Amino acid sequence: MNKSLAYTSSPLLAARTPVWRSKFIVGAIALGFVALAARAVWIQVLSNDFFQKQGEVRFERKLELPANRGRILDRNGLMLATSVPVPSIWAMPEDMERDPRKLAQLAKVLELPLPELEKKLQDEDKSFVWLKRQVDDEVAKRVAQLDVKGVYQRKEYQRRYPEGEAAAHIVGFTNVEDHGQEGMELAFDKQLAGRPGSRRVIKDRLGRIVEDVGEQVPPVDGRDLQLSIDSKVQFFAYQKLRDAVIENKAKAGSVVVLDVASGEVLALANYPSYAPNRRQNLTGAQLRNRALTDTFEPGSTMKPFVISLAMEKGLVRPETTIQTSPGRLTIGGSTISDSHAHGLLTVNEIIQKSSNIGTVKIAMQMQPRDMWEMFSEVGLGQKPQVPFPGAVSGKLRAYKTWRPIEQATMSYGYGLSVSLFQLARAYTVFGRDGDIAQVSLLKSGDAAAGVRVIDPATAQAVRHMLHLVTLAGGTAPKAQTMGYSVGGKTGTAYKQEGKGYDEKKYRGVFVGIAPIEKPRIVVAVMIDEPSAGKYFGGDVAAPVFSATVQQTLRMLGVQPDMNVKPQVVVERVEESF
Amino acid sequence: MTRLNLALLIALLASALYLVHTQYESRRLFAELDKAMSDARKLDIERERLQVEKRAQATPSRVEKLAKEQLQMRTASPAITQYVTLRGAVPGTASEQAGQP
Repeated sequence: MNKSLAYTSSPLLAARTPVWRSKFIVGAIALGFVALAARAVWIQVLSNDFFQKQGEVRFERKLELPANRGRILDRNGLMLATSVPVPSIWAMPEDMERDPRKLAQLAKVLELPLPELEKKLQDEDKSFVWLKRQVDDEVAKRVAQLDVKGVYQRKEYQRRYPEGEAAAHIVGFTNVEDHGQEGMELAFDKQLAGRPGSRRVIKDRLGRIVEDVGEQVPPVDGRDLQLSIDSKVQFFAYQKLRDAVIENKAKAGSVVVLDVASGEVLALANYPSYAPNRRQNLTGAQLRNRALTDTFEPGSTMKPFVISLAMEKGLVRPETTIQTSPGRLTIGGSTISDSHAHGLLTVNEIIQKSSNIGTVKIAMQMQPRDMWEMFSEVGLGQKPQVPFPGAVSGKLRAYKTWRPIEQATMSYGYGLSVSLFQLARAYTVFGRDGDIAQVSLLKSGDAAAGVRVIDPATAQAVRHMLHLVTLAGGTAPKAQTMGYSVGGKTGTAYKQEGKGYDEKKYRGVFVGIAPIEKPRIVVAVMIDEPSAGKYFGGDVAAPVFSATVQQTLRMLGVQPDMNVKPQVVVERVEESF
Repeated sequence: MTRLNLALLIALLASALYLVHTQYESRRLFAELDKAMSDARKLDIERERLQVEKRAQATPSRVEKLAKEQLQMRTASPAITQYVTLRGAVPGTASEQAGQP
């Protein structure tokens, strides 16, 4: 019934088809392959950007290699500032779970008000928002324990300042982005900041790095910065200053300690200060580095320069006598007076007792131009050559505009302004036998190059006068310190308020040198508006000088040059027979 | 001929598998190396952190406070210091009279 049909005997096969048809099929298939090959070449070789990118997105990662910010060290290599990584908390708002209870907990742990936290999460950027940067390890741990979805942590560098407020003004601080904002952190930001590197890697499914791709850019760490500051001297200077400001109910104060030989700044402190690690609610008064950025009328501290100039000109010698009685002198309609009438004084005594009349009488024998040159040579009216942001030049008017009364007042320090730093530097003239030191905030160690201003003999004579100031009969016996001979000059100036002087507001200044025979340091102290009764520089600033000199020389290992009654208790055991 | 082909096929397969293995090993070792390096970095950071902490514990302000309050010490002064001059150094004035109770 079913008739088998052998394949071979299919009638279709028997039918002859034209040869072109099979050739056409072969050709069409070949064409298809060529098209595929061409497409493959196109995708894999010629135009592979898109796919390459897609591939990279899936397994390649670019890693940022953070660079360390350089450390700031003191002259002995002790740390003044360094960076340590601390956790910062961030969130991905679009992923975040909005459980009100958890949010409240999170806000509590982060010490943020809840509305503020909610506001942060509603910000435009849905994929990234900082919740709180640079938190304590403890806080980070508790955030991790809360385990809120969409909240993450990453490490950020935070600056630490172990010396705290004592060195705050000189070291400065950085902002949350690790850029210098104040002080040396700002001045040397470029050197301190590192350059972050990067590397491209392939990560596997588990997030492990399995291969480097392409070139690595290694991070360049910032270079360390070694300051000339000695952290111990700095601390003691700050401490003594702080105590004095508080005791005298003063508004503020500054102290500068310079190394005479090298011109290095051993300490530079201001009060009020601040803790650089906790900078909430900072006031401008706390932030100001008064020693460098505030100028004031230097008052009597200018007198030694006028006297040394007069000695250089051969007008006076230390023993020359000048009549200062009756304690009043009228020049161009204005009257100059001494606080006490002194009568006949030698030049030595004019400095020792700080007589305005005596100084003016000597100054008026000189040309304004000579005085101006003297003041300029010791750095007044010029910006100090230190790389400190905001260092000011003070004011010294051109001598051509000086009226006689102005020349007279300038001789005792009114009508020009200086910063305490400039004043300290100017006194290196006397400390270095007549040449003024180049000052430096960075450690150099070498003797500083100096510029000759006055004759060594003059400098020594003036040093002797400065020594007299601190002896009985001088204006600053409180500057004396045990074991070391000192010399210096007091200055008490009315503060300028608006156009005139406020006769109830003072500034007490003391600048001095120690030890007086072989000077090692210059210390300048300024107390602003002491209001606890005492206001003379010799009463408010000299004690700070005395204490600072004592500590600094001890730490520098300088042997006392004066006889001290030793109080060394030696226990003696009776010899037994 | 067939035998040679077979042998070559097996050799090819073996080499391919070995390649896979080597690649795997290399990635594993690389991951290990990378982890070791990141550990080194972490330790470095930890060291820096501890150094700061050590420094913060030894600041002059803290040392002085502890010395004064807990140990009842006082600041040294020239009166209670014996100065010793090294041979060859310039003799100081204080050393000559120091040391005699």
